[in-house]
Amino acid sequence: MVSLGMFPKAFNAPYTNDSLRSGRAWPQTRRPHPEATPYLSALCILVGVVWLLLLPLNDYSRQTYVSENALLPGQVHTYFGGSEHNIFRAYRHEVHGLADKPDEVRVAKLQEIFRSAGLKVATQKYAYETGGRSIQGENVYAVLQGPRADATEAIVLVAAWRNMDGEINHSGVALILTLARYFKRWSLWSKDIIFLIPQDSTAGPQAWVDAYHDAQAGPAVEPLSLKSGALQGAIAVDYPAGPWGHRFEKLHIHYDGIDGQLPNLDLFNTAVSIASGQMGIGCTIQRMYKHDDSYKDRLQTMLRGMVNQGLGHATGPHSSFIPYHVDAITLQTVGSGWHDEMTLGRTVESLTRSLNNLLEHLHQSFFFYLLMQANRFVSIGTYLPSAMLVAANFSITAIALWVQSGRPPKPAAKTFSTDSKDQDEQPEMTLVKEGDMTALVPASTFEIVERKLFLPVAFVCATHFLGLIPLYLFNCVSSNALYPTFLLTALLTPALPLLGAYPFATTFHPTIQHLRLIQCFSLLLLGLFLSALATLNFSLAFLVGLAAAPLSFVRPVPGKPQTALAAALALSLVCPGLLLCVVGRPWLPSEALGGLLKGAAEAWAVNHAWTLQVVVWLVWWPAWVEGAAVLAVSGFVEGD
Amino acid sequence: MAWLSTLQTCLSLAVILFLALSTAEHTSNWAVLVSTSRFWFNYRHLANVLSLYRTVKRLGIPDSQIILMLPDDMACNPRNAFPGTVYNNADRALDLYGDNIEVDYRGYEVTVEAFIRLLTDRVGEDMPRSKRLMTDERSNILVYMTGHGGNEFLKFQDAEEISAFDLADAFEQMWEKKRYHEMLFMIDTCQANTMYSKLYSPSIIATGSSEIDQSSYSHHADADVGVAVIDRYTYYNLDFLETQVTGPGSKKTLGDLFDSYDESKIHSHPGVRYDLFPGGEQEARKRLVMDFFGNVQNVEVEDGSSGLGNGTEWREELLQLRKMIEREWRRQNASGPAVVSGVDLAVPVAQIPRSKPVGAAKVAADDGWAKQAIGVSALLGLAGVWAAGSWLEGLKG
Repeated sequence: MVSLGMFPKAFNAPYTNDSLRSGRAWPQTRRPHPEATPYLSALCILVGVVWLLLLPLNDYSRQTYVSENALLPGQVHTYFGGSEHNIFRAYRHEVHGLADKPDEVRVAKLQEIFRSAGLKVATQKYAYETGGRSIQGENVYAVLQGPRADATEAIVLVAAWRNMDGEINHSGVALILTLARYFKRWSLWSKDIIFLIPQDSTAGPQAWVDAYHDAQAGPAVEPLSLKSGALQGAIAVDYPAGPWGHRFEKLHIHYDGIDGQLPNLDLFNTAVSIASGQMGIGCTIQRMYKHDDSYKDRLQTMLRGMVNQGLGHATGPHSSFIPYHVDAITLQTVGSGWHDEMTLGRTVESLTRSLNNLLEHLHQSFFFYLLMQANRFVSIGTYLPSAMLVAANFSITAIALWVQSGRPPKPAAKTFSTDSKDQDEQPEMTLVKEGDMTALVPASTFEIVERKLFLPVAFVCATHFLGLIPLYLFNCVSSNALYPTFLLTALLTPALPLLGAYPFATTFHPTIQHLRLIQCFSLLLLGLFLSALATLNFSLAFLVGLAAAPLSFVRPVPGKPQTALAAALALSLVCPGLLLCVVGRPWLPSEALGGLLKGAAEAWAVNHAWTLQVVVWLVWWPAWVEGAAVLAVSGFVEGD
Repeated sequence: MAWLSTLQTCLSLAVILFLALSTAEHTSNWAVLVSTSRFWFNYRHLANVLSLYRTVKRLGIPDSQIILMLPDDMACNPRNAFPGTVYNNADRALDLYGDNIEVDYRGYEVTVEAFIRLLTDRVGEDMPRSKRLMTDERSNILVYMTGHGGNEFLKFQDAEEISAFDLADAFEQMWEKKRYHEMLFMIDTCQANTMYSKLYSPSIIATGSSEIDQSSYSHHADADVGVAVIDRYTYYNLDFLETQVTGPGSKKTLGDLFDSYDESKIHSHPGVRYDLFPGGEQEARKRLVMDFFGNVQNVEVEDGSSGLGNGTEWREELLQLRKMIEREWRRQNASGPAVVSGVDLAVPVAQIPRSKPVGAAKVAADDGWAKQAIGVSALLGLAGVWAAGSWLEGLKG
């Protein structure tokens, strides 16, 4: 408290004391304490991180459950088996025979098989240009019209010709062909069923689902000649076992969509409940093939899920469906065990029967969740505060910097040094009267310092626009040049504030207030963007928030160029480029990094994935540059 | 005093007549069978109702006296693996839909309003006879309901619900309008017993599948149809009706039926309410199952042998009306005894107005001057106190 004295007038009448007690207390002298904000910011980050770490505990996460009454998972007998097995084997050999054939032969043969099952068939050619290369292919799909259905809704079963790893999806494609023939004989479909065999696992499904909704990008992607009703759900099968089959151990369920969007949790739960409950197949997620339900494994699963969500890339053929609000998952077989293709076929049959029971779009369960095991999750209400707290730390610092920038330079510190000072150093005091109270406060408290906004605003705007350059580069240079471009950016980004500091200081003569305001606006925008992003892509907001957290604690070091430059150099470790190159080295070798960049560019061009690149280059990168610039430039600025 | 003795004679005659009426047997049987839920996953509710429909038809109630309300068509649902059929058992031995089904209210016609209008017969002139409950004071009615319910409500079609109070008032209207003789109300839903807890009209026996805060469970699912096909309570009711009540000559009583309920099988606590029935539990339990589920009619020949011509009927009706009004007063004033027994009929007419309704009363303007003097002095006193207070305050200041 800054007030030095308070002398309430003595009044005889008793009511005056009441009004004093209920009255406002010293409004003139109550001021924010910018000096305390680093601790407050740090506390926000700490609580945010601890919050996240608590989530895997039993008390904070929940067992999954199916909310939608209509789904009735696993309540039907599945009859896929018997002679269908022979048909499956035959189709698998057909598929194997097509492995080395040209695309036209493959497409023609697949069409023929669908047609022989009595389905309507169509194809779709697509081509995308990205990073100097062309991704092209042809999708084959067939529509089974529900015999008694009203053709207003449809379910999609997908088996990409090549899976995410580029292997030919022998058994997966054969299974879809067999199921098409098998489903045709049932009369109980209330929706149409579409069997889709795209040529690859990302571009093909994207082209198809775009065209299904008449949103295909340009003439290179053909429109669909055959359509059905509104898509209610999609299930993709990834089972690359060759012509002689392979018995698998578990089902690995992929559920991440583009930009970190997720399918309705009910679909995932139904799949897990049918696979594990009805068929006895264990389910895993996020490549956690061995999960012992310990805290560590739960946390690791959750963090892997967050990284996948943060990256916002396609993790399977299902990913492209999710932005169109078509709930979709991919069932991938992993390991060696005793489950065969018929068990997988029955799982898909039962899952399709459940989706067939739907009366309306999946909506009962969560769309925002973090999974930490196939049957354990936390919903948005529980996890969101952690990312919000991390984002709030920037806003708190920004507000403190704004207040501080309006303060007169020196006495701010003096007011806090209390009694031990000599009487001579006591600052000039003013008597303040407010209603019934009076107080002695330093006169300087009432001085108003004008904030000079032009330079800070212009600087912050310019830096943010500068972010468009890397954004453009990383989506337009050829895929071979991506990694070098990245290294160049990783080196140039730290160099920019270091080398630019002196020229900037000598050209524009910024004051310490300018620097505070630059940082203030920079952090204000960062906090704003991240808290908005937290509701769209929680994981990305949290991870970027953590990576940018040091920017909250950057303070100018006026008049000490060496210290300032050294500090800016140290800050470079957490700059968007170097963080991945240097700190992330053990987890992310250069090939993986190259692949990541290629994937991101591809996702941008093909899948319309925007969050990752926009957030890195237009939110995080400018914030870092501004933070480092404030630090570096401050060395060449005279202190208060 | 001649008029008094005449009145007494009339009254005693009326009492005798009423007692004779109350023990008189019914002359027609009606059934109102209602499923209140739609959608494929509620298959079992429609199967419940169709099972009851089949049973009451088997025991002789004709289609013209059965009101069947089905909000959805499971037989023609595309998800039905066996088109055109509805089964209530996984053995699929009996197709409930068969080829002789008369659904009176179907699809979105099944609403709370339609149901209450049906019960109270508040329908338009153009309402076909098949959609009307054409009962009279000699009709026994079976009302069976099933669906999704909760504490004192039953959901209709995901859109609205009927409360226990609505139901009780509808039954009261039926009683007042002489639309039933005796009624068996049967309900199979979660917390079903709460639905009959608010009934207050006489001659109703009510039974439900589960207590408050208890769910009512399905019996089993058919893995080929892919849904549960029947609820437990209904299943065991049918079990009794199929195995014990084999023909219209059955002498099984409601007591036998209620005793057959096995909580370990039903998985909830079925309840029975007897207190509305004249004669209470004892009498109610003696009623034959066939009195409600079958169509045993006793024809009454009006040959005037009772000694009362049509000329005295209006007196009896008047008395009934008076009794009803009196009972309403008591209910509202809550001053008299809550239970109205047949003995109350002997109360002389002249005494009835003793329970005056609470209304506005005229203020008597007596002792005007004295009261006004007291008022003026009180006002003056208060003014004095006020003045003294002000003076004291001024002194302090």
